[in-house]
Amino acid sequence: MPDSPRHNLPAEPNRFVGRERDLADLRGLFDDTRVVTLCGVGGIGKTRLALRLAAGLSSDCPDGVWLVELARLGRPELVEQEIARVLGVHEEVGRPLLDTVSVRLRGRRCLLVLDNCEHLVDRCAEVVEALVAACPLLRVLATSREPLRIASELIWRVPPLDLPDAVTAEAESVQLFLDRAAAAGTRLGPDSLPDVVRLCRALDGLPLALELAAARTSLLSPGQIADRIDDRFSLLTTGGRTAPARQRTLLAAVEWSYDLLGEKEQVLLRRLSVFAGDFDLGLAEEVCAGRPIAGGEIVDLLGGLVDKSLVLCDEGRNRYRLLKTIKCYAAERLRQAGELEALRQRHLDVLCELCEGHLTTELVEPHVPWPRRLEALAAARALVADQQAALDWAARSGDVGQGLRLCRAGTGLLPLGGDLTEIIGWTERLLALDVSGIAAEEIARSTAYLAYGLETRDELARALEVAEKSLVEIAPDDLFPRGVLHSLLVVVLLRMGRPDEAMTHAEEGFALAESCGDLWNQAAGLAGLSAVALTRGRLREAQRYGEEALARARRHGHRWIMARTAAQIGAVAEARGDLATAKAQYEMAEPWLRELGSDLDLGRCLARIGRVAAMLREYGAARERLADGLELSRRTGQRQGMARCLVGLSVLADSAGDLEGAVLAAAAAAELRESIGQHSGTARIEELLARARARLGDGRAAALWSRGRAMQPEDAARHVLEGERVPPRAPAPAESFRPSLLTAREREIADLLTRGLSNRAIAGELVISPATVARHIANIMEKLGYTSRAQIAVWAAENRLVHTAGEPRASA
Amino acid sequence: MWAGGPFLNVGGMDERIVMVDSGTGRTLTEEELDERSATAGVRLRRKGVRRGDGVLVCLPAGPDLLVAFVAVIAAGGVIWSLPADLEAGALRERVRQSCARVMISNVRPALDAADESCVRVVLGIEDLYGPGPYRA
Repeated sequence: MPDSPRHNLPAEPNRFVGRERDLADLRGLFDDTRVVTLCGVGGIGKTRLALRLAAGLSSDCPDGVWLVELARLGRPELVEQEIARVLGVHEEVGRPLLDTVSVRLRGRRCLLVLDNCEHLVDRCAEVVEALVAACPLLRVLATSREPLRIASELIWRVPPLDLPDAVTAEAESVQLFLDRAAAAGTRLGPDSLPDVVRLCRALDGLPLALELAAARTSLLSPGQIADRIDDRFSLLTTGGRTAPARQRTLLAAVEWSYDLLGEKEQVLLRRLSVFAGDFDLGLAEEVCAGRPIAGGEIVDLLGGLVDKSLVLCDEGRNRYRLLKTIKCYAAERLRQAGELEALRQRHLDVLCELCEGHLTTELVEPHVPWPRRLEALAAARALVADQQAALDWAARSGDVGQGLRLCRAGTGLLPLGGDLTEIIGWTERLLALDVSGIAAEEIARSTAYLAYGLETRDELARALEVAEKSLVEIAPDDLFPRGVLHSLLVVVLLRMGRPDEAMTHAEEGFALAESCGDLWNQAAGLAGLSAVALTRGRLREAQRYGEEALARARRHGHRWIMARTAAQIGAVAEARGDLATAKAQYEMAEPWLRELGSDLDLGRCLARIGRVAAMLREYGAARERLADGLELSRRTGQRQGMARCLVGLSVLADSAGDLEGAVLAAAAAAELRESIGQHSGTARIEELLARARARLGDGRAAALWSRGRAMQPEDAARHVLEGERVPPRAPAPAESFRPSLLTAREREIADLLTRGLSNRAIAGELVISPATVARHIANIMEKLGYTSRAQIAVWAAENRLVHTAGEPRASA
Repeated sequence: MWAGGPFLNVGGMDERIVMVDSGTGRTLTEEELDERSATAGVRLRRKGVRRGDGVLVCLPAGPDLLVAFVAVIAAGGVIWSLPADLEAGALRERVRQSCARVMISNVRPALDAADESCVRVVLGIEDLYGPGPYRA
């Protein structure tokens, strides 16, 4: 498996100026601090400092540095969802998401960067506290206007950039201003320096204020800007008068910069505040056009806002975004202009249309080449943040109709690895509002998707009830959702042991799809027929349906349905004992699922290949797939998937004659399953344990079982994968300090400490001041990594021999 | 209330009392001073105090203040002393004027004053004595 990326930090948009000493200090802090919060007012540069620091820490974090941007989240419960999304963790059925996230992070040395916590600070505090407690190697760097106030936190107050004093103009604030002015095309000569110095002082060294000012140097001289900003202070309106000085300064700079915009630029800037996160030109045109702005003008207006540093963009000008401080200001202006509701509504409407278009292209429309379908899927995935914001607006404004429409159009609705739980949460929230104005068939379409959630949570009876009711009420010409519902019913009924009814739905679904040329549901219907036949033991029929399903799926082109039907053929082959064919089918699906980025399906697929390969005694291939599958499941937090791979490893070890490994892996799998409230299949385990007892003796078998249960899944896996004997617990690496690290004077003091002398007494002995003794002792402690003075005495006593011999030697 | 003078315990050198808080009667022995200031000195270094750095110390007079002073010296820093009972405005002005990166204080007005200054890290006295550090 290709290495997964080790960070998601964005490229720096421009040169990072100053703060070198701070960065060095902050890096050092993480040696003995788990949570550091960078605190300070908006615009002081918390985020930029955090990103720079995080990049610098990445070499200490072999398991990754992960940036989680919280600014766009409106509700506290989204904090852990966003962390999970960034880490690629999927919710486990019936488990709290935070618990699953800690499965992913446990035992991993990584850094989580939580940017902009202030508006969700209570939830952030709870989440960080829980994660830090559950994951001993995890470190967290947060940025927030307010501290989290948890026990493990070190609050680090971000100061403004250094200000120039009378003597030197080398200050960080001046450097930043000159750098950004030069980037804006302004060369400032030495004669403008006094004005630059005055301006930097007027702006309190606040980086964002300096950037906004520097962006205007093509029109105004630094002196003119300084004058105008001074005037601005007296004009401050929006409650800024009583705010702390730095906040006032920043507000003045932002207002000044806003007032300098042309009217249309002002209108666009405030409208841009409706976007949740970053956005592209197309979306801006769709949502923000309207009197007085024509759609065609937006590209130029947006460029103007970028030039004025009010909007940020990537190098290719593909994605744009607003800093949180600017976004808050713009949102307030939008509200004042009385446009907030209209814009939010427009945002919701546009998202409905876009998402429906993407969904149709991805799944419904016939004869669309796969790259186009994949493109639509990627485009829909890029809209997730805005979709959440729009759904939130729909729920708050009571627009149930559009809200449900957006829920249905989200690709998360179909079991393609989207976030089913989230969409179900939204649907339930919307359906709890006043739905009197909504047509019954529209509600039926939405509840159909609730049935999916019930099926995933193993609530089969309720899933059946909801799905059947939807099928009755849904509009007869709503063919695609009808087909999907039939497929869902096939799965539910088969799981409930009712193949006859399942077959009726499979046949109906297939016939419906045939009548309208809907290849997706044709393939799904045929796969359902194959599954029914397989259940009834009609293997040849199952094979025929399976092959036809795959053929239709290929014509549709979507990798998910292709993989699904290939797996169906694999299952049929397994049932008739043709393991080679089964493995070939599962292997065919693997690259498709990789292309789709569908981690959960891929994890399942790898476990299948591994298990079948083990049974075929192809040990190399089995090891590779099971190791891959285990790692993928761990990375996505899926304990069930991890357990599945461990069972595969147990089969592998067993068939390779490693009975010990088989027991260990089975025990680790059982432990994992129990941790998520699942029962393990006992028949195989009983049989395995019986053989183990017979061969190894009762005591040894029981010991292996309990050792396996206590093992980390990776350790149990490694035992099988590398044929590792269970090692005696490795001794903790002995701390070997060389006395030669200490200077002669320090050794002398360490030696005196063993005699129980106080600092004052040592000072008397050596004729130095007690404060100097204290400093030497601090140096010794730092070199030896000790935190208490008494530890030195012990160490010195143990190392006395070495010391008196004068020969440095590592202590064992 | 306590009784006796600073040489109350004469059993051993470590028991020698070096300070008595006249308000509470709390005493500080020489051993406590040495041990606590050593630990606190290391803590200060780990929080970024380097040789020559200013460290604002704003604590009521008493054993903690003495420990903090010695700890700053041990860490190689320069003590910037602030009377804990200074009027808030004057306190704020002095904190802002200082170039200190670290402040040791439990005094509310001093903590507030740190907001508009160059102070990066504020440590309470319990942070200097507190539980052992995290070691990865």
